[in-house]
Amino acid sequence: MSLKSTLSSFWNTVSRPATTISLGVISLGGFITGIIFWGGFNTAMELTNTEEFCVSCHAMRDNVYVELQSTVHWENRTGVRATCPDCHVPHEWTNKVARKMQASKEVWAAVFGTINTREKFEERRAELAKHEWARLEANNSLECRNCHDYDSMDWDAMSAEARFYMEPAAALNTGCIECHKGIAHHLPDNVAVGSPAMAKLENKANSGSVTVGEDYFAIRDIPVYDSAESTEPVGNLTLGAAVEILDESGDRIQFALKAWRKDKGFGRVIFDEFGHNIRVAVLSKDTAQDAQLVEASAPQTDEATGLDWAPVTVTLWSDKQGYVDEIDELWTVAEESYASNCSTCHAQPDPDHFGTNSWPAQFNGMVGFTNMDEDQANLVLTYLQKHSADYGGSH
Amino acid sequence: MSTRRDFLKGTGAAGLSALLGPSLLQPAAARAEQLTSAGVWKTSGSHWGAIEALVKGGQVAEVRPLADDPHPTNMVNGIQGLIYSPSRVRYPMARAEWLDKRKDADRTSRGDNRFVRLTWDEALDLFFEEMERVQVSHGPSGLYAGATGWRQTGQFHSCINHMNRAVSMYGGYVKKAGDYSTGAGQTILPYVLGSTEVYSQGTSWPLILDNAKTIVFWANDPLKNLQVGWTCETHEPFEYFDQLRDKIASGEIRSISVDPVRTKTQKHIGAEQLYINPMTDVPFMLALAHTLHTEGLHDQEFLSVYTLGYEPFIAYVMGEAEDGVEKTPEWAAPICGVPVDTIKEFARLLASDRTQLIFGWSVQRQQHGEQPYWMGAIIAAMLGQIGLPGGGISYSHHYSGIGVAPSGASMPGAFPLNLDIGVDPVRTDDNFMGASSTIPVARWIDCLMNPGGTVEHNGHTVTYPDIRMAIFTGCNPFHHHQDHNKMRVAIQKLETIVAIDYAWTATCRHADLVLPACTQFERNDIDSYGSYSRSGVIAMKKLVDPLFHSKTDFEIFSLFCKRFDREEEYTRGWDEMEWVKSLYETTRSANEGSYEMPSFDEFWEKGIVRFERGEPWVRHADFRDDPEINALGTPSGFIEISSRTIGNYGYDDCGEHPKWMEKIERSHGGPGSEKFPLWLQSCHPDQRLHSQMCESDPYRATYAVKDREPVYVNPEDAAERGIEDGDIVRVFNDRGQLLAGAVLSEDYPRGVIRIHEGAWYGPVDASPNALDTYGDPNTVTLDVGASKLSQATSANTCIVEMEKFKGEVPQVTAFGGPTSI
Repeated sequence: MSLKSTLSSFWNTVSRPATTISLGVISLGGFITGIIFWGGFNTAMELTNTEEFCVSCHAMRDNVYVELQSTVHWENRTGVRATCPDCHVPHEWTNKVARKMQASKEVWAAVFGTINTREKFEERRAELAKHEWARLEANNSLECRNCHDYDSMDWDAMSAEARFYMEPAAALNTGCIECHKGIAHHLPDNVAVGSPAMAKLENKANSGSVTVGEDYFAIRDIPVYDSAESTEPVGNLTLGAAVEILDESGDRIQFALKAWRKDKGFGRVIFDEFGHNIRVAVLSKDTAQDAQLVEASAPQTDEATGLDWAPVTVTLWSDKQGYVDEIDELWTVAEESYASNCSTCHAQPDPDHFGTNSWPAQFNGMVGFTNMDEDQANLVLTYLQKHSADYGGSH
Repeated sequence: MSTRRDFLKGTGAAGLSALLGPSLLQPAAARAEQLTSAGVWKTSGSHWGAIEALVKGGQVAEVRPLADDPHPTNMVNGIQGLIYSPSRVRYPMARAEWLDKRKDADRTSRGDNRFVRLTWDEALDLFFEEMERVQVSHGPSGLYAGATGWRQTGQFHSCINHMNRAVSMYGGYVKKAGDYSTGAGQTILPYVLGSTEVYSQGTSWPLILDNAKTIVFWANDPLKNLQVGWTCETHEPFEYFDQLRDKIASGEIRSISVDPVRTKTQKHIGAEQLYINPMTDVPFMLALAHTLHTEGLHDQEFLSVYTLGYEPFIAYVMGEAEDGVEKTPEWAAPICGVPVDTIKEFARLLASDRTQLIFGWSVQRQQHGEQPYWMGAIIAAMLGQIGLPGGGISYSHHYSGIGVAPSGASMPGAFPLNLDIGVDPVRTDDNFMGASSTIPVARWIDCLMNPGGTVEHNGHTVTYPDIRMAIFTGCNPFHHHQDHNKMRVAIQKLETIVAIDYAWTATCRHADLVLPACTQFERNDIDSYGSYSRSGVIAMKKLVDPLFHSKTDFEIFSLFCKRFDREEEYTRGWDEMEWVKSLYETTRSANEGSYEMPSFDEFWEKGIVRFERGEPWVRHADFRDDPEINALGTPSGFIEISSRTIGNYGYDDCGEHPKWMEKIERSHGGPGSEKFPLWLQSCHPDQRLHSQMCESDPYRATYAVKDREPVYVNPEDAAERGIEDGDIVRVFNDRGQLLAGAVLSEDYPRGVIRIHEGAWYGPVDASPNALDTYGDPNTVTLDVGASKLSQATSANTCIVEMEKFKGEVPQVTAFGGPTSI
């Protein structure tokens, strides 16, 4: 407790903005202090580079550290062990300092109990893992490669199975983490891993670089809001939704989604095209019935069902993340997933063997036999619907 | 069953344990493979359940169910005979006529069973030369490699995947759509309930047993069919049928079997029977709808919120449609053979409280097979209980352990059927010359007979390709296709037929080139334990080396691919155990954190990993909860009582809503019944898996009648024909004739006989209309599409006559392989 309160008070002091001292004094003071503490700083930093430091907090010692101990990075026939800093701290000085700055967040979390129980840690595991994966993806798995180098791999010494996966990865200089997530610690629940192509798309979408006036596609479900400031989602765009960015404000963008809805029910489900059951958004009842947010035109009757469908323009807000400017790569990922998951018992039918509105029934009828999780199933079904007989394929 | 276990438990146990040590008395699942003086016990899996086999002196000496299985099937006793069957394919062989002349050979002699032994190199060269010839001269539309069936179990060695991947390494081929089990059902139900339903997980049994007051088994005998599973079967549903039996006995649940025949299930659980004439379910159901509607017993609110198209349908029922016939119970009674009052009482019973309808697949394996399934969904919608526990309708509770709450764990994948990313086939020609690349599976014989012809199918027009060569592996169309005499003429169009199998099926007999695969007991593999329950992962250990000159499918197709330089791409350079281990490790990592699995070595030693049963689940509950967000997969997203989509197809044999249509032929006063008064039902066997295990001689002997397949017949029908129990009889119609052994049974009503499908076809010779000597019902069944919608099999639309066989009884020719010349 005393350490916590001391640190807390220190943090309060340094984090409070200076109000009475001039900028010059601060700079000069900083310079002098810098010289004095230079040696001490490096020593302190080296100290924080040890395993002992890392596991001195409960969150690390009781969770990820224990998990590491059951892996090959802890114990193996050659007796070489990777400790925490080997993988998580850059070896080059500038990057190292940058990483230390980031790490202050983790110290904060440790001190103030954000992740001080197993449950809290599990709640945030996905977020923590994603940060670390993003870092390794950004540096193309630099820390892994300090020990593992494609150029030094002896293909003949590998099993045929390992070679099958490693050789193409080496040819593309693929970063290790793209395939080996979860190699040292447990994977977060509900995180789809394994497809490097999907990881690349996720990276692109997570960058949040979108331009007003351009068209984009959602590569996953994206929560939507009725204003730039609102924190309560009013629904979500679904994977594959094509939107035009109208405006931006802070971390949010305003988009227009031109699509369709059925006249039976509350109109909460928005569909891609007239008469096609490919959903692109699901909205709350209030939002769906708000004529400002969902502007509907005169309906047309779908002869196949007798239901009326109205064209709608949905104007809402979302975060910037989750969009890509080109969707074909997503379908390539889906195609591979379809081909491998749906051919364990029989040859998978060609996507254009069924119509857009037939695929959900065919797919729902068999998906229980596969290992696909909900996200993956959703991706594959949308791919099939978008590549069905209705989209130019022949039977 | 379990004789050995029972024996050990009994008085002999003490003495035996002294002799053998304690190991055999431990639970089998917990025991590692152990060498004793008596041999080695090894674990494996099968369609018939998990087993362990005693291997002694390089031979399988005994097979018994794994102790893990509390309800093992008696069929486990047939496994040893399957391995050591005299019908095993021992060597690669070629049809004598074909070997020299190939495509120019006489094809009328196919089926004369004269074969020449080849070496593997000769056989695989021939196989490749023929495939190459056909692909070069006719393109992918000349090759049919799409027909697949109930391969032996094992996810790595699955022969479907091996053949399809290997052939795809070279080039394209014609594929199939649908199957022979559920063709009409899997086509109609997507339009009505938004899923194929027939292969979908159903409401978990505990919820049915806790909530249903009435359970209706409609043309369904689950205790017969649940003995087998698509992957290694766990037999877990059987405990629920015992619970159901107790609840029926105590009066908590009423159960009714709507069926012409007293089923095994009905007798086990003590259900009541509601007799109905064969193929007349639709008039009966229309009359039920009439009673529900006129007596106000239907749930109007459910119909408004969750369904579309009730009005045109009910107008038809009430006689306000074009035909002007009101579908009253009085109208239906003479057709369906159910008295008027019984119809009305049954309708009232269904509506009186929570009712679970559970349909089997037999009623959709007939002409217009879509109609009874559609009607079932409408009755369920009128009752308004779809999505409630113990209510609504199921079409799958007799299949592969459905109704057991699944664990949720990931199961092993399989040897990849498709080419790996980046691997190109030798020939990339995808020109089907204007023909369709996929044909409805049950129409392949029509396709052979009418190349270039067209047929309507599910809203499309299919153009039949000009097929010159067919490849079958682990697949026996001469069992599952109808009308063998028509087939024998049609296959004369094929220049080359290649069959890969472990036993001399009738398909091998009618092939030109036959390659011996080993059985699943002669290879190492891995399998899901429980196809739908996902109860675990099981190791399938090689019991003995491949017998005779047989090889694994993996080896056969590796050698095949070597002939066009794709061996490395085909195998990835991995051997059998590398593949098995890889499938295990992929499963292990997919389950990591949720379902713990031991290391591969530990798994392989123990033989099985078990997962806990999951949470009970209600089918369609999400739809009932929010039909807008959780819309069905129908065109509208709602239950479609009438389907405009189907109506727009304009088919005369499947319209906008279900209708009663008379069949081409029907017993009990229907068309043709004066000449052929008996309805032949050819449902799934009780003592085989389709045609698998028929070749197990000692096991077949336990049910065969004078070496013939049993035909079950009502004693009065038999007496009228001078037939006594145990007689050899001739069953015939204008399509064909077969011999079978009469079993007289009161379980069968007048005018109904049964021969289980899967009985091996054994014609006396290659002549047209040759007498089948063993009793394959498909010698006499009808080969027409169920309708233009599904083009599915109509096997159960079949009427026949039977007589006591007089004259010299021919030897059974179905078993024992060919004459080697």
